[in-house]
Amino acid sequence: MENIASLMHGFGVALTTYHVALMIMGVLLGILVGVLPGLGAPNGVSLLLPLTFTMDPVSAIILLTSMYWGALFGGSTTSILFNIPGEPSSVATTFDGYPLAKSGHATQALTLAFLSAGLGALIGVILITFLSTWVANFALRFSSPEYFAVYFLAFASFVGLGGASPLKTVVSMMLGFAFAAVGMDTISGSLRLTFGINELLGGISFLVAVIGLFGIGELILTMEEGLRFDGLKARVNLRDVFATMRSMPRYWIAILRSAAVGCWMGITPGGPTAASFMSYGLAKRLSKRGKKFGTGEPEGIVAPETADHAAGTSAMLPMLALGIPGSATAAVMLGGLMIWGLNPGPMLFIERKDFVWGLIASMYLGNVVALVLVLATVPVFAAILRIPFTIIGPVIVVVCFIGAYTVASATFDLWLVLAFGVAGYAFKKLDYPIAPMVLAMVLGDKAEDAFRQSMIMSKGTLSIFWSNPLVGTLMTAGLVLLFWPVLTQGIQRVLPARRSHDLLAD
Amino acid sequence: MDLGTNIRTSRLAAEITVAIVTMLAGVAVIAGALDFGIGWSRSGPEAGAFPFYVGVIIVAASLGNIAHALLKCDRAAAFIDGVQARRIATFFGPMILFVFASVWLGLYVATALYLGIVMRVQGGYRLVTAIAVAIATSAFFYVVLELWFRVPLLKGPLEAAMGLH
Repeated sequence: MENIASLMHGFGVALTTYHVALMIMGVLLGILVGVLPGLGAPNGVSLLLPLTFTMDPVSAIILLTSMYWGALFGGSTTSILFNIPGEPSSVATTFDGYPLAKSGHATQALTLAFLSAGLGALIGVILITFLSTWVANFALRFSSPEYFAVYFLAFASFVGLGGASPLKTVVSMMLGFAFAAVGMDTISGSLRLTFGINELLGGISFLVAVIGLFGIGELILTMEEGLRFDGLKARVNLRDVFATMRSMPRYWIAILRSAAVGCWMGITPGGPTAASFMSYGLAKRLSKRGKKFGTGEPEGIVAPETADHAAGTSAMLPMLALGIPGSATAAVMLGGLMIWGLNPGPMLFIERKDFVWGLIASMYLGNVVALVLVLATVPVFAAILRIPFTIIGPVIVVVCFIGAYTVASATFDLWLVLAFGVAGYAFKKLDYPIAPMVLAMVLGDKAEDAFRQSMIMSKGTLSIFWSNPLVGTLMTAGLVLLFWPVLTQGIQRVLPARRSHDLLAD
Repeated sequence: MDLGTNIRTSRLAAEITVAIVTMLAGVAVIAGALDFGIGWSRSGPEAGAFPFYVGVIIVAASLGNIAHALLKCDRAAAFIDGVQARRIATFFGPMILFVFASVWLGLYVATALYLGIVMRVQGGYRLVTAIAVAIATSAFFYVVLELWFRVPLLKGPLEAAMGLH
């Protein structure tokens, strides 16, 4: 097995004192941003990214991915102890996690969440280990039309499967493409969409956008709700931890099913949030104890947590192998890869084997480190949340603005963060999805280049996107997904009225 | 003191406002794209072509959102009430002042002022506590960023006077 050998080589890269120290630092920072409302994985990674510009890419990606794992774990802590999701993807964990903790089983609830999250992540990484080379080899055959078709498929699946209003998804995504187009056009060299504003000549950084949209936007929303942390006592009892560990095999069906849901949603850009909700819904419907869901049922914690982390990790597969991120956080990391001078996609597996396999090995290690650290530090981070929000809120604001300034040392970016913050708040409140915008900002130039190269190859006819079976299948699948909402409505109308009534009532 | 508690913005109004803003953004993108040509040149599609179609889709989808809001939006639904609006104002107002202060005085001084004033005025902390936390936070950022990561932040007149450039 070539992959196993590469993985062992990767462990050699990842298992240095320096890298393990980075993992610990990343995980701790990640738990912190995961625990604090308003600071989530995407903008935590955005805030840290400018500090990695001068680092070696392998070290930098280990730091950032570790932060990601930490944030995923940290989000569950607040869900369970405070009934406040630290991350959008841990909303579903509050449904059963908080009731269980409230009934005096906080340790059991936390341990269940962390262990199933760890297992979900493990399954995700195993999937990456075995599939990534295969996907990358497959993608080596791609030229511009195929790349555009894959981008199209990724964006279309947001519209078709994202769950939000399709038109709002389109608006959000296309605004992202428009922001990406601002500044230098890579092909003609002309300066586009700057409207005479000198500060826009360099383009709009996706990092600044993420910090505003996710950070400030989320904070305003939190303030509006008049958030108060009335947390439960957070003391982790080791005996309960081991008792819960022994009970884990009981939930093997839920774990496998949730991991499958998570991996699927992570690879297609459905993302961890959608995965956790879908998995919770499935578990509720399929479990024998489904009626008890919502009252502190262990399976109701296992299902969303496993799916959340399986999706979070498997989102790295398309990012590495195809250059298409499966979640907003992966999109930010993809942008980081480009900033560090790497070219995400299949060539990475040939040119930078040490990077790819170092990263994959670090995912195994990082998740173990995160699992241990998150259990050990529950009381510390729970205490941080007891600091009044009149201090924590402004400190998070300051961190966001300082982070935005470090991206390019531009004063103009401070104003942009404010503007994106307001936009993020309005979008969140009106159910416009934000992840498609981030993805479009990161991938905009690549998608446009792929489109223009394809047009040059075909002398301007769109038929090039159906010129061979591969690109044709991708494009057709993309179109089906794009019009999926319309198609399903049509199907429902054709179905006998009673049947569709039953489906709705379900 | 109950200023604004009766104010209520409807969700319909908010939906339509946001859709109009996105539509205007789309119009701006189209206008910007037209400057660069949207047709075909010897080197393939012209620079404005891709943004042009992006702009057209934004406008079309925004119009669709307006129509959807008018037809489907629950007219009784609220976007925000007076209490929430005031909470946002007390949070967002100082934030805007913080950005103004940052541009003028640099990020370190603005950070200290912002934290100190918010803690004293909104949090009701003792003046000494507020000043201590404010200065300590600013100093922490200075040590981590300037000394440890060697990332310079925006500085103002105070740093210049102290010779910290």
